[in-house]
Amino acid sequence: MSDDFEKNLRDHLHHEAEEIREFPRRLRGRIREGIAPRARAHMAPQLALAGALVLVAFAVLAVRSPQVILNDVRSTVTQIFTTPSPSPTPQPFICSDRSGGTTGLPGQLTGIRVAHHAEAPGFDRIVFDFSGGIPSYDLTRQQSPTFVKDASGQSVTLDGSAGIKLIFRDADVQAVADDQKPSLPAVREIAQLGNFERVLSYGIGLSSSQCVRVLELSSPSRLVVDVITSAAASASPAPTPLPTVPEATDLGPFSCQDRGGGSDTGPAMLLTDARVAHQVAGYDRIVFQFAPPPGAAAHLPAYTVSRQASTKFVKDPSGMEVTMRGSSGLRIVFHGASGADSYTKSRDITPGLPVVQEIEQIGDFEAVLSWGAGLSRSSCIRTLELSNPTRLVIDVQTP
Amino acid sequence: MLMDPALGRVIERCRDGDRDAFEEVVDRYGLQLLRTARLILRDQALAEDAVQETFLRAWQRIGSLRDEDPGPWLNRIAMNESISAYRRRHRFQALTERFGRLGGGKHQVSSEARLDLAQALDQLSAEQRAAVALHYYQDLSVEETAKALKVPVDTMKSRLKTALRRLRDLTGSEEISA
Repeated sequence: MSDDFEKNLRDHLHHEAEEIREFPRRLRGRIREGIAPRARAHMAPQLALAGALVLVAFAVLAVRSPQVILNDVRSTVTQIFTTPSPSPTPQPFICSDRSGGTTGLPGQLTGIRVAHHAEAPGFDRIVFDFSGGIPSYDLTRQQSPTFVKDASGQSVTLDGSAGIKLIFRDADVQAVADDQKPSLPAVREIAQLGNFERVLSYGIGLSSSQCVRVLELSSPSRLVVDVITSAAASASPAPTPLPTVPEATDLGPFSCQDRGGGSDTGPAMLLTDARVAHQVAGYDRIVFQFAPPPGAAAHLPAYTVSRQASTKFVKDPSGMEVTMRGSSGLRIVFHGASGADSYTKSRDITPGLPVVQEIEQIGDFEAVLSWGAGLSRSSCIRTLELSNPTRLVIDVQTP
Repeated sequence: MLMDPALGRVIERCRDGDRDAFEEVVDRYGLQLLRTARLILRDQALAEDAVQETFLRAWQRIGSLRDEDPGPWLNRIAMNESISAYRRRHRFQALTERFGRLGGGKHQVSSEARLDLAQALDQLSAEQRAAVALHYYQDLSVEETAKALKVPVDTMKSRLKTALRRLRDLTGSEEISA
């Protein structure tokens, strides 16, 4: 039996849950550290062996020449400690954004090197050298080579037709060129976008949108970004390829879970368009497009996309209930966004697509913008955050 | 539940020790697990600890995950971690509550003392909140909720009914007859 109380409870739980807008970066870092191999543990047997050898050496000093023994011990210990550590496991190229480094660890960027590697599958390698460890970083892929410079807010367009933005936190830079144009097959330009309040950012202009591989290496500390140059290998390779590769895999997999992202910083973004269409690749696509208010930088507002088992929604702030077409729904909430003055199209669209039957605005109040979607069936979803113009894309899987 | 092929490949890479692949799993399921843990534990720091422990255990046991969707599997680990964390944190509180129940009888809330839903949820046990969070937030069926919390379906029905009755009682909401 379901009544108003259960509905209120459900709404309350969703509202309470959505107070967490994104998965905390610090928690991701803690998990990464937790699953990282323990370098000291790996060295323990070597250290124990070295210690034992030293003891043995001293024990036999009485019966052999001290100089010979010292030479033996020195060479043995040197051999043990100079054994190269195993090279990192080859990582696949991935067509998604990445984060990493160590939160709270200050780092100083001392060099940026870039070169092409011809060995299969072929990639351009950018190496960021650090003294003091690799600080926390975010790598974001984007569809254009245009970036916004930190502090000034000015746009800068690098060579190429796509880009990567790399942000280091708690980092500064010493004697590194602000701009270099290696003109390699994939990497066309690397330029500093900002160095302010220990947030260091770089834009990378690419010849085309490509997948990347990120390696964190030590001794010396360096972050390696490999950009694949072979178009055929740009999808994430798997160790054991399976015969069924869904179309548009590089857009990311569909997930039957709620999604969230964006950022709630700066002035409220303005909704300028909401549209929906079927894609032959097997999904219905809902797009919310935003523009910044005059003088402000563009960003995708913080959002949550929550799946629900019914098509009933409560309008915000009236509290009125609205039932959309279909049998299940999606609730899309943007924080720091409004369409009150900027969105002039229909606020109730009934496209009648295979799955998306209706989308309707259910709230626009105090910079919290909500839309509901009525679906013909419960479906898995995928979200994409796109720029130029700023868009949230929600792909709803169709049968 | 069967995995979609793309996710299957990610899990396969995790089994091979690919930590980048595991981070994709964290990205995919982390937010929902954290939100659910927060609903149960009522404390952000505790919830983050529980989710961290969930993923570390999942990484250690990834080899035991066969051709099933990792979502319910992670949910089971997260529920276990969340309830254990709550018990550890509230051991003393649980003891006093138990003595209170032995001596007290059913707690009635006067109209003046009616609580809002957030406060009422605070009054439930961790097990009840886990059931409510999975059933009403994650929209799991009673059977799926029972499986996630490793209890029989009838027990889960009873737990949900008790939790709902207590929430109604605490908030002063009338139950509507069918």
